[in-house]
Amino acid sequence: MRLRRRGGTAGTAGTAGDATTGTGTRARIVVVGGGPVGHRVAERLRHHGHEGPVTLLDAEPGPAYHRVLLPALLDGSLTPADLHLPDLNRLPGVPGMPDVTVRHGVSAAGIDRRRQEVRTTEHDRLPYDTLVLATGARPHLPPVPGLRHASGWLIDGVTGLRSRTDCARVRGEEIVVLGGGPLGVEAAAALRRAGRRVTLVHPGPYPLDDRLDAGAGEVLTRHLAGLGVGLELGRIAAEVRPGKLALDDEWLLPWDTLLCCTGVRPRTRLAEAAGLAVRSGVLVDAEGRTSDPAVRAVGDCAEPGGSLYDGWEQAERVARSLTGGSAPHGTAARRPVFRLRVPGLTLGVLGDGKGEAGDEIVTYRDAARGRYARISLDAEGRLRAAVVTGLPQALATLTQLYAADTPLPESRLALLLGRPAPRGGPLPELPPEAVVCRCNNVTKGALASAWEEGARTQEALVEATRATTGCGSCTDDIKVLCREFAEVGS
Amino acid sequence: MNRLLVIGNGMTAHRLVEELRSRDRGNRWRITVLGEEQHDAYNRIALTDRLRGVPEAKLTLRALDEDPMLEVRTSTRAAGIDRPAHEVVTAGGERIPYDALVLATGATPARPPLPGAEARGCHVYRTLDDVNAIREAAESGGDRTAVVVGGGLLGLETAEALHRHLRVRTHVVEAARHLMPTQLDGAAAELLATSLNETGIRLNEGKGLLSVETNRSGEATGITLTDETSIRADLVVFTAGTRPRDDLAADADLPRGDRGGYLVNEDCRTPDPAIWAIGDCAAIHGTRTGTAAPGYHMAATVAGHLLNTPEPPPPLSPAEPSTVLKLPGVDVASMGNPHAKPADAIELTYTHPAPTPRYAKLILDPEANTLQAAILLGHPTAYPRLHALIGQELPAPAEQLLT
Repeated sequence: MRLRRRGGTAGTAGTAGDATTGTGTRARIVVVGGGPVGHRVAERLRHHGHEGPVTLLDAEPGPAYHRVLLPALLDGSLTPADLHLPDLNRLPGVPGMPDVTVRHGVSAAGIDRRRQEVRTTEHDRLPYDTLVLATGARPHLPPVPGLRHASGWLIDGVTGLRSRTDCARVRGEEIVVLGGGPLGVEAAAALRRAGRRVTLVHPGPYPLDDRLDAGAGEVLTRHLAGLGVGLELGRIAAEVRPGKLALDDEWLLPWDTLLCCTGVRPRTRLAEAAGLAVRSGVLVDAEGRTSDPAVRAVGDCAEPGGSLYDGWEQAERVARSLTGGSAPHGTAARRPVFRLRVPGLTLGVLGDGKGEAGDEIVTYRDAARGRYARISLDAEGRLRAAVVTGLPQALATLTQLYAADTPLPESRLALLLGRPAPRGGPLPELPPEAVVCRCNNVTKGALASAWEEGARTQEALVEATRATTGCGSCTDDIKVLCREFAEVGS
Repeated sequence: MNRLLVIGNGMTAHRLVEELRSRDRGNRWRITVLGEEQHDAYNRIALTDRLRGVPEAKLTLRALDEDPMLEVRTSTRAAGIDRPAHEVVTAGGERIPYDALVLATGATPARPPLPGAEARGCHVYRTLDDVNAIREAAESGGDRTAVVVGGGLLGLETAEALHRHLRVRTHVVEAARHLMPTQLDGAAAELLATSLNETGIRLNEGKGLLSVETNRSGEATGITLTDETSIRADLVVFTAGTRPRDDLAADADLPRGDRGGYLVNEDCRTPDPAIWAIGDCAAIHGTRTGTAAPGYHMAATVAGHLLNTPEPPPPLSPAEPSTVLKLPGVDVASMGNPHAKPADAIELTYTHPAPTPRYAKLILDPEANTLQAAILLGHPTAYPRLHALIGQELPAPAEQLLT
């Protein structure tokens, strides 16, 4: 186990820092963004023994919460308190550390990189040795005519789903959800369970079509339809009118709330204004350094960024890097696991779900019970990717095997069904009632009897039983049986 | 002594005679067989071997001639049944009396009713004469191109024989989305198509035949497909589909099944207790079959009834209908009708794309214990094993059964 640097042992670690890049356990660190990844950075800094002042600016009123669970607020399956992230100043296992200064409702208005100061929206200045940008992403709304007023503001009733405030904006009985990604699917299912009338509009052939193959897509589609979610698949929004959405086939959907779950874009305005290198996100190296080594960026605002797993791993890397630790052996981001959060439906994707050309593919389909799995294995039988629906135990087992990167046991069926594997060992012999020659309905037993009665060559067996005298495809099998009979006899 | 008349001299008729002669210890039945073809009974399933160059004699079924109780009359076509008189009238006007009559008239190949389909150079594929004619056409002249219409078992065997043994440039046209649509699923058919493409056989799937093009002397010069593409060809072989030969039914006032065939009960008896039907021309309670195994089963059933020993022959394997296509580098098999699976069946598939493609689909009962049907590609040794396990519990991991 690694030694953790913390409180009393920090004397040497404090000098390990590098003044020019603002590392060291006493450096002043400002984190901009109080979402899960910004929160994680602050937590991991304390965990790894950073004793210097840490200030976290969180534009939202607080406390910090788990953003991916937001859809569960829509049907009350979770309460707001269930979403809360741990209090940074009551972290278990990290006693005796100074408090993290968390300022809710405050964000950064600008960065003065020369003076290493952040200007806040409350007009004060926060000096930093290291600044960590965790500004996240904002909902991306599709360029549909009518979605915005001429001023650029969204028309009343249109919202993304990125914050608790957005959840509170979902009003009325008729909800149209645009976008069948994870968020859209989870939100649609939750709203339907809450008794709203919900229609999900998605351009693909089935929801989550970028992650699922058609087999799993069919199960998901049926599940949503079974919940009573209206599905408009292969359709895009053509025009928004107040209370009405016109699809590209001119079908009109009424709505009280139009919920746009059509993806997100990195929030980079602050970084751009500060002159940092930005492409779609703030460009960072493996330890989160931007083009200014005193500024790091993590999570959805960074590039490369990606999933929440990527964000968490980046948070860990940045925290370790700032406390002089070594890079983690994290594999979560490289071995991603996605689970859809829809109660009553198990749906998970391991890896990219597809695997690579040349992989061995095993599929399992139990359409009547909504169970489907497609697993992709490399040449050593290790799991490269999988899509699993309706098989919770199989998903759990596969997830473990995937994380451990170990080969799967031989019986994939037993694995998928969560059963003990049938006995292995030598192959069972053909039973006597097995039909060997299909055309003439000649069983192995009939051939054995003929052998017993003196037909001791292949030709004699053919003569006695007529085996092979139809399509001839069993000729090789008769040869093999001849050898077997001879061996048994000798 | 009773007189048995058998119309038809194919594999099923031959089997009936064989069964009867081997079991009729008291010589109760004197048998007359009317064969329309000029040849002695031969193994129709092996006709592709003939196309590949195997001599005719190799196809001939066990001769039954030297038997005084049996008369086989080739080149004799039955034209009608006079049921009140218990007589069959031949095309030559001869009347042959019977005490029992077995219709074993088989099936006739379907020639599509399209422009040009009757032209010279167009062939059907059913009889030894058909195959000899195709062979002759393929061997006459140097640089020949053939189109095989129908990508089923017969079409693919024919295409392979034309391409590999007769050195004819060969195209296959299949109107369904993929090859062997009755037996395979899309995944297996795609791997099969890849293998066939590698041998040089050109495949046109998902396209129907629109017309056969002809020149002024009435010879086929090519075909046009439903997507209006054309293929130049000297030889067109129709292998898609057959119809039961039930044309004696109308005048004799015998009922037919909805989809053709002499309507019989499970004993293969028509409503006339003296008349039976077996093989491809029979429709047991309306259901037709088209392979040897059920035909032989019917022959044995009827032989038992004629000898008043009606204990049924061993039941057909639940794996029937099963199909095997063995071509160089490709082994495809289907068993237990994979398309007729109940809605609550479980499907398990295994795909190994490399180094040589292998694919297996197992269809299991809802509890995932019992094997009900299977499709195999590239698993030649697993075929007899799985065939024997249809209807039974899997005794070992499927992975092991497929090795």
